[in-house]
Amino acid sequence: MIQLSRVNKRFGQRLAVEELTLTVPRGEIFGLLGHNGAGKSTAIGMMLGQVWPTGGEVKVCGHDVTMQRARALQKVGAIFEAPAFYDYLSGQRNLEILSHYSAPTTRARIREVVDWVGLTGREQSKVKTYSHGMRARLALAQALLPQPELLILDEPGNGLDPEGIAEMRRTIGRLHRELGLTILLSSHQLSEVEQLCTRIAVLNQGRKVFEGQVAEVKAARGRVTLRTPDFAAATACLRERGIITGVVDGKFIELSEGRTTAEVAKALVEAGLSVEGIWQQEQTLEDFYLNVVKAAAPPNPH
Amino acid sequence: MFFAQLQNELWKLFGKKRTYIGFGAFVLVQSVMLLMFKYTRWQIHFERLLSGNGYLASDYISALTVAVVMLSPQVLLLLPLYVALVGGDQVAKEAEDGTLRMILSRPISRLRLLLVKWFAGIIFCAALVLSLGAIALGFARLLFPWKGMFVFAPLLSTFSIFPAGDGLALFVFSHLFIIMNAITLLSVAFMLSCFNMKPAAATILALSYLFVNMVMQHIPFFEQYQNWFITHHFECWLLVFQNPAPWPQILQSEIILLAISTTAFVIGAMVFQVRDIKS
Repeated sequence: MIQLSRVNKRFGQRLAVEELTLTVPRGEIFGLLGHNGAGKSTAIGMMLGQVWPTGGEVKVCGHDVTMQRARALQKVGAIFEAPAFYDYLSGQRNLEILSHYSAPTTRARIREVVDWVGLTGREQSKVKTYSHGMRARLALAQALLPQPELLILDEPGNGLDPEGIAEMRRTIGRLHRELGLTILLSSHQLSEVEQLCTRIAVLNQGRKVFEGQVAEVKAARGRVTLRTPDFAAATACLRERGIITGVVDGKFIELSEGRTTAEVAKALVEAGLSVEGIWQQEQTLEDFYLNVVKAAAPPNPH
Repeated sequence: MFFAQLQNELWKLFGKKRTYIGFGAFVLVQSVMLLMFKYTRWQIHFERLLSGNGYLASDYISALTVAVVMLSPQVLLLLPLYVALVGGDQVAKEAEDGTLRMILSRPISRLRLLLVKWFAGIIFCAALVLSLGAIALGFARLLFPWKGMFVFAPLLSTFSIFPAGDGLALFVFSHLFIIMNAITLLSVAFMLSCFNMKPAAATILALSYLFVNMVMQHIPFFEQYQNWFITHHFECWLLVFQNPAPWPQILQSEIILLAISTTAFVIGAMVFQVRDIKS
């Protein structure tokens, strides 16, 4: 559905996106991760033809966005962080206005979508009277009007309270299940991405530093917690026997390839060191993300 | 589809309260001017001017005469202000509010979007000018009789009198030229609005362009270069009242105004086309 090939974007001297290659297959919920300024919104802007790439090719629904923007966006819906509307007009009028930029939309279709997002009864009220959650639902309604196959969500949870975030999460799940949409979700809320996405890409300073399955990330072996009265002696012993490769934060150990926690316990007992506890930490997306970003950061000269 | 989009653009434009500032201001200013004309020496000055030229003042101090008197300063100052306000808002305000990003996630071309907006602006200009004329004439009729029309514009050497019927026809006809003035300034503000700038900046720059033209037009050194000044061409609506009207000059001015408007739109469209729209 989305294909970016060696895309670059430069704003003056600053390279906002560098050599970005990305593929979002049909039917997936794809997470685009990165801190503020990592290039997520710029990448999304290029997918929607709002930001012109300096180099490379951006294809959406099989069409080049730069050359055939109208065709590429025919079946695309988008929601942005803090969705903006014409506050002085009703929700219904806003939907009519926005939908007519895509294709003629019947009132019946608008009613159907309003009903789907749960705004029935409030569609004739002016948008300035809407709560933050209602605005989010209106944003979803406008994105669904053109019967999209691809939904691009740029930081949709920003500014929502925990209840709103949970509702947004449920809605994204419904969109995927009931409407079969392909979804690109840009976020720095890692728990959201972890719960929703099947695949992720991590951007750091405009460059892609990781792309892969969320399940793969979670299955990857994480750190091991070791509880022992003499942590320094224990890790020295384990290092000497080649069982671990490193120590993190004075309480975690990193196992060498092919080694198990049972071998750690056995080695420590044989060396006469007592073991109070030893267990494998499941790697969260947050751990993974922080590790990936840290590894990609340029070395600090100080 | 174009008309549905234009209709929606008009909803957006006329749904905003600030769009009506101009209409409200006209009502207020015209009320004040009307009372001033009625109750100060302004009217006496006009009566003397007419009788000094051999006309019976009571035949020409009429609703039509007063309406033109009221229009002159407003066409020069107030109308450009409100037109520039709307023109400067049309693209820049949407960019500032974030709605432009919502629109541009749709498969509408940027050129088409600008065309729709520009046409909506043109309709606004026509509505504003026609209201201005109707309010001026309606208010003047409240205090002055329906008689012959007297038009005096010393800088254009215009001193004309018309019977009421002909005067009304010319009064209505002159509004076409005022609409063209409004469209030209709207187009300049619209062009600036397409750049990456705040709506207020686009409005102020458009008005600055107008005032610089106005000042330079009246500097004796530039006497030979009048055709270069937009405000010189804005005077066409008064030339219509000359007897006989200088049609070649009027036509030339209107073509120049049309060219300026089109050029402003094309420049705006080109700038907007290459612009990156970011939050």
